[in-house]
Amino acid sequence: MDIRGVQIDDTFAEAFGMRGVRIIITAKNQKWARESANKLTGFATSVIACKCEAAVERELTPAETPDGRPGISVLLFTMDSDSLPKRVIERIGQTVLTCPTTACFDGLQDFPDRIAIGKPLRTFGDGFQGSKMIDGQRYWRLPVMEGEFLIQETFGKAKGVGGGNFLILAESADAALDAAEASVDAMAGMPGVILPFPGGIVRSGSKVGAKRYKTMIASTNDAFAPTLRAITKTELPEGVNSVLEIVLDGLDFRSIAKAMQVGIDAACRAGVHSITAGNYGGKLGPFHFHLHKIMSGDVEDAPKVEAPK
Amino acid sequence: MSDRITLTLRAPLARALDADAIAPDRLAALSAREISALELWDGRTVVALGDVFTVSGDRSPSVLLEGDLAQLHGVGTLMGGGTLEITGSVGNSLGARMRGGAITVLGSAGDDAGSAMAGGSIVVAGNVGDRAGGALQGASKGMTGGEIIVRGSTGVEAGARMRRGILYCASTGAGAGAGMIAGNLIVSGTIGDGAGAGNKRGTIVALGPVRVPPTYAYACTYRPPHLSLMLLSLRKRFDLLVDDAHVHGLFKRYSGDLAEIGKGEILEWQATR
Repeated sequence: MDIRGVQIDDTFAEAFGMRGVRIIITAKNQKWARESANKLTGFATSVIACKCEAAVERELTPAETPDGRPGISVLLFTMDSDSLPKRVIERIGQTVLTCPTTACFDGLQDFPDRIAIGKPLRTFGDGFQGSKMIDGQRYWRLPVMEGEFLIQETFGKAKGVGGGNFLILAESADAALDAAEASVDAMAGMPGVILPFPGGIVRSGSKVGAKRYKTMIASTNDAFAPTLRAITKTELPEGVNSVLEIVLDGLDFRSIAKAMQVGIDAACRAGVHSITAGNYGGKLGPFHFHLHKIMSGDVEDAPKVEAPK
Repeated sequence: MSDRITLTLRAPLARALDADAIAPDRLAALSAREISALELWDGRTVVALGDVFTVSGDRSPSVLLEGDLAQLHGVGTLMGGGTLEITGSVGNSLGARMRGGAITVLGSAGDDAGSAMAGGSIVVAGNVGDRAGGALQGASKGMTGGEIIVRGSTGVEAGARMRRGILYCASTGAGAGAGMIAGNLIVSGTIGDGAGAGNKRGTIVALGPVRVPPTYAYACTYRPPHLSLMLLSLRKRFDLLVDDAHVHGLFKRYSGDLAEIGKGEILEWQATR
């Protein structure tokens, strides 16, 4: 397959099941919602070392938020159900509760599987907290020095998908970055998807384990490292001097597939040799994003396989 | 089965009737003949519903009551679901102990509307009498859930002893929110004297004038974050004319009743230029 002179490899991205929440942060203005969201999603690029993956999904207008103020939606994922509440509670407690003017709401109201978030955080109120039932949902009012912090008692839990990806193989580092930036811009704001790495882009794609250091969970993807072309079993075609990866997590398969379709299309531009994807022969995860199918418009779900508990 | 059951008053009521048999979820399982045979109480005497109302339609959870029903009491008692629309006014104890469903009154309602209700909604276009959302005689708790929306005024002791839920009205008589355990009383206009006496954890929102009792103490002036959520929800669900100045406005917070545990509050809206 060829898009505007860029080859699309006949391969697939291999992804795995995750558990996720959508956190709605509102504030007096977009600046403070963004400040809080940036802290909340800081150091949350990969579960390998960050224990969760999180990023801003999109900005919300006052008409889209529960309290009629500007807001931001954030998606946060973990590898299992048990660790999800812990990660969410500690991050909201340190980055939303602490941030001036913010309030915090569940963005997956219709999801029946609920986890307690506001309920444990209420104890910060030291007995002075109170609650309100509004439209069948309980909200906690925590007195703070600024005034009051409001947070919903429970948040919906989604069975998400993590590790969707594609690699941009380019003639130069500049061309790879230009294409990756164009790709990220095109995917910005697409619902149900986040790009957890810096600016949505990964330069240090990894392979599972390591050849030399046996305790490493992941190490450099030497097959795609251009400086190692001459001394390792390379996957790089001739003329490729730089590779950047886009990693996607999402609430479902289709959201990721649609974002990949848009992102890959935007990345097909001058200086890009080809687009490929990372997989482990189907051993890592049950979700397979076949590039040719996606770019042909087939973004429907993969076989249903339970995520790890 | 029809789309709706319509009960039309045959003749003006000369005396009070107890009509706690009329609730949509109970009528939903009945034929027109069975509905006509339901019993209403005229003092110690039983009257067949069919002698008082003409009945059209059957087996529907949607019920329309037509006529001046100011003497008809107990309509919607223990209602658990469905919709009940009343085109005129209705008597006392409307929706008492109701658990779900929606009652809409295009006229006014009598005393004890929504007394001890636990869920669902009552919307009254006109006024309601005393003790709306309050407790049954001798009971410790008033309404424990649901919403009562009164576009007009309420009588005395609106929301007295309420435990949970929302009572919204344009104005109240004296003693509003007396003995509130928790819950929310929102008043868009004037609140009568003695509001919130004995309030434990309840919230009284005064969008208009209020005389704060001496057993409340001023805490601060701020924007209560839960209130914008609540007002926007009411605006959306009940098409209330809620002003943005109230949704995002500043409120004086008074803690009280300090003669009680003092965890209740009166939130008094502050007009800003």
